[in-house]
Amino acid sequence: MEITTTHLKRCDMIALKGRFDSSTAPDLEKALRASTDAGAFRIVVDMGEVEYFGSAAIRALVLAYKECRRFNRGDVRLARVPERIRHVLDLAGITPLIQMYDDPVLAVGSF
Amino acid sequence: MAEEYEICVASQLTKLEQISEFVADRALLAGMSEDQAFAVQMAVDEACTNTIEHAYEGCDEGEVHVCCYVEEDDFVVRITDHGKPFDPSSVPDPDLSVPLEERQVGGLGIYLMKKLMDSVEFRFDQAHGNTVILRKRRQASR
Repeated sequence: MEITTTHLKRCDMIALKGRFDSSTAPDLEKALRASTDAGAFRIVVDMGEVEYFGSAAIRALVLAYKECRRFNRGDVRLARVPERIRHVLDLAGITPLIQMYDDPVLAVGSF
Repeated sequence: MAEEYEICVASQLTKLEQISEFVADRALLAGMSEDQAFAVQMAVDEACTNTIEHAYEGCDEGEVHVCCYVEEDDFVVRITDHGKPFDPSSVPDPDLSVPLEERQVGGLGIYLMKKLMDSVEFRFDQAHGNTVILRKRRQASR
């Protein structure tokens, strides 16, 4: 599991790689919190290299989504969501609510 | 009697990956598609997370047994532990109709298990502890 955060002018880009289950989801939560604690409420999560994304990781994402959208100050948007993980996000009822982009550049540009 | 394949790991979240790989391999060898194997892997991961976090309440010295077998058209995974009785019916399904901002964050794991599998059964008895049985029908044979 790897998490790489890049601070861009428009937003923070958090690139994820590998497996996000209940043992690694706390690291995702920390990375997202590091951005919001630093005042970056516009976040793109690049999921292109994610192999697995369980309910604990979905919870971390939803927590960050709520934190960022409070007071209309930002948003969490997803890029390159693998097909199987998109299906899981569908089941969790998240796809209609979170904006997703095939290209991270477009996700960044959407802010 | 169909062959059973079992692993036993300590009740630690860091063991989830090992369980996942074992179950995905068994599912593929049983003739499931990659997508089906992924769904089974995910349901087992959520079930084992519940075992470790709720039945064992984070104590890392318990044992989690994961057993895979084929029964007629079904690929079956049986997960047993000797932690505290865990009653998943006490966990309500999340309400997906409310906006994400207002949604409760719990209950998603069990909900996903039910959605990903054809059947999910929970049992508890003093002798065997908690048992979760997950079933998914194998894809129609070629």
